[in-house]
Amino acid sequence: MKRSVIVTSATAVGLTGVMLFHTAPVGMTVGALPTSAGASTGTGATTTTPTTVPATTSTVAAAPPPKSKKSTTTTAPTTTTAPTTTTTANSGTRSVIGEAVNYYFGVLSVEVTATGSKITSVTISTLQDGGNYRSQSIDQQSIPMLEQESMRAQSANIQSISGASYTSAGFAQSLQSALKKLGL
Amino acid sequence: MRHHEEDVMGTVVTFDLFDERGFNDRAVDEVFARAAAMLRDVDEVFSTWKPQSPVSRLRRGEIDVASAPPQVAHVLDLCSYAKEVSGGWFDPWSMPGGVDPTGYVKGWAAQSSLAVLASLGATGAIVNAAGDVAVAGRPTPTGAFRVGVVNPFDRSVLVCVVEAVGGVATSGDYERGAHLVNPFSADTTTALASATVTGPDLGLADALATALVVGGLDALPFIEALHGYEALLIGHDAKWSRTSSFPLASGVAL
Repeated sequence: MKRSVIVTSATAVGLTGVMLFHTAPVGMTVGALPTSAGASTGTGATTTTPTTVPATTSTVAAAPPPKSKKSTTTTAPTTTTAPTTTTTANSGTRSVIGEAVNYYFGVLSVEVTATGSKITSVTISTLQDGGNYRSQSIDQQSIPMLEQESMRAQSANIQSISGASYTSAGFAQSLQSALKKLGL
Repeated sequence: MRHHEEDVMGTVVTFDLFDERGFNDRAVDEVFARAAAMLRDVDEVFSTWKPQSPVSRLRRGEIDVASAPPQVAHVLDLCSYAKEVSGGWFDPWSMPGGVDPTGYVKGWAAQSSLAVLASLGATGAIVNAAGDVAVAGRPTPTGAFRVGVVNPFDRSVLVCVVEAVGGVATSGDYERGAHLVNPFSADTTTALASATVTGPDLGLADALATALVVGGLDALPFIEALHGYEALLIGHDAKWSRTSSFPLASGVAL
């Protein structure tokens, strides 16, 4: 079974949501997120972009490199200083498929396309769920919503999110590996 | 703060440590590694997806509890307690294919790994096991942990924010499909769209959330009678209710 779900359009909100997965792949731990240009609503954020409409490219640059394979160090969420922007501007359009990840219903992988340091699309590259009708309908509903979840979380000033969550984990994990391959 | 994620138990578990004083990186890495190893051990023993795990073998009747690793008997004891205090609405023994403690294990494992993280002595720690959250301490010396609850009808928004001091568990079949079994009727229809339970222990909170989703208002009196555990119920009709001391830190929006 193979199908594609176009997850993101060019909306700034959607893209920012994707960016947030870079450092908090489950989209659950808001505290782990760097204060990106678009999401900083606290005082003292040294942002050069409007606070309500994030510039997608600067959001990419705001993500600090992981300290180790899976651990990241970020500033505390109460610290509103925006991370220093050290953009490694990759030019050209390129696509990468993230690792195939087992999730509750099967296996999925995510394909990310970027131009320069800007993500232009995120799609489900492969999705093997054994033809389970129920899981397909769940996937179709939940996957397109994943990016916005972390965005909303950030604005609510919370440290974590409680919810029934399985698909998002696999999605985010594959997405993160794709972002890593892209050097974003 | 420091963040770590671990691909384990068929999902992603995240660890977060909060501290104003700064960390010795090596000590943090070590505590993350120990907590992750604990989760992997739990998965090896309790996974129902691994045919040779002790719990899989137990379910097939190849071994008995006495010859399984000692954690199995321990968790089944906890499950037995959860069944009792939930009025039978949480019942691993009613699952198809033999006793299945999976509904307890994730929360219990997260709570156990939190104890490992907390041993570092940081100001605060969070373990999030795919939506079941256990917290210890505080994000800052004066702050309180705030945990968002996902709207079961639209995962992109939050229903509310709760102030968390222990565990926050949410159950529902909106993400994973019909997997919750009514122990009294053996069918998989749910009484609620989702239920969120807060309380000192995430394992029990998770079990009670499952009991509420399956049993709805019939299960609610048992949870109300439990000291320290509070619930938010969201019906399929998008109406909500909560126990009197549910630790809301925001309004409820559905």
